[in-house]
Amino acid sequence: MKKYICTICGYIYEEVLGVPEEDIVPGTRWENVPEDWVCPLCGAEKFDFKEEEADEEPQQSLEYISDEAHNKDMSSADLSALFSNLSKGCEKQYRIKESELFNQLSEYFSGRADIEEDKEFDDLGVMIKKDLDTGYPAANDSAKASADRGALRALVWSEKTTRILGSILQRYEKTQSSFFEKKNVFVCEICGFVYIGDEAPDLCPVCKVPNFKIEKIKRR
Amino acid sequence: MHAVRNIRLCTKDCLCLYVCPTGATDTENGQIDKNTCLSGCRACVDACPSHAISLVPDEYPPQQEKTDSVVKALFALAKSKTKQERIASDIAKRTEDPAARQLALALSMSNRVVAEDLIREAGYMLPQSQNVKNLLLSLLETQQPKDFPKEVVEKLLGIL
Repeated sequence: MKKYICTICGYIYEEVLGVPEEDIVPGTRWENVPEDWVCPLCGAEKFDFKEEEADEEPQQSLEYISDEAHNKDMSSADLSALFSNLSKGCEKQYRIKESELFNQLSEYFSGRADIEEDKEFDDLGVMIKKDLDTGYPAANDSAKASADRGALRALVWSEKTTRILGSILQRYEKTQSSFFEKKNVFVCEICGFVYIGDEAPDLCPVCKVPNFKIEKIKRR
Repeated sequence: MHAVRNIRLCTKDCLCLYVCPTGATDTENGQIDKNTCLSGCRACVDACPSHAISLVPDEYPPQQEKTDSVVKALFALAKSKTKQERIASDIAKRTEDPAARQLALALSMSNRVVAEDLIREAGYMLPQSQNVKNLLLSLLETQQPKDFPKEVVEKLLGIL
């Protein structure tokens, strides 16, 4: 009997145990778990699970860095995010005046950012795939080689969040609006994890922050 | 190190007022007077039953050094995320379908949070770091559009 682990939040499906409360009887093989079954903790699809004993081979150090990486010039959208984060940083240090000023800069650059008029949800799916296939492996290798704990922490969180966004977009593509018609949509303010369900989880499954930091997105 | 109070945690037990040797906590705005607070004293921190007071460093250690390859790799990802944020927020603006708008807003917010975090770890964590000051200076030194809020940048450089 095998075990399958959710790559988003770490939940483990054990074939020997099943999930009796969801009518998946003990001993149910992974391939017999319904295709529309989702992770009870974070809502990830079966696709996002991997067999637990599969040992990860140490990756060859990749020299790959995407083209954009050579361009250290920041776009207005990048500067907007950079300054909004510094604004949050000042707030945490109780520097209210500085926080407000950084926020003004962030707003200014947000207003100057390029408009993406002809892009759709599909385009986001393509970009997510590229991030997961090339961006994250390259960044993880660099961070490991530099023993940069801060960078590794941010990469662990954001790679998981990126996977869940990809999974949500795939479900949206298949079912359009119906899959969350009667559900709420939540975003973790700390790591960006998106959850679709009735109520926000107690703790964010990615960064483990308590749920008063998880925001409900209203339907307007 | 001086004491600050998190007003969201404060339950007005006022033990800080009782233990503070200088009266720095007796302010009407709920904040602790930095000029009267004794550096590193922490009497109020230990006395507060709601853990609402903590010590904040007056000076932070220099920011952790970042290697070039880490900075490049994190920025490559962050750039993808800020672009996805824009795409999602523009979908939210033009779609007629309320559910699609809700999803697009969630994706936009999520990508913003992720981009902020990646950029933070690419050398822009501490607002008062040299790296941030250099960036602000470079904005002043390069050609900017007419509506660029120069005075905001100058104020920041003055007080950081």
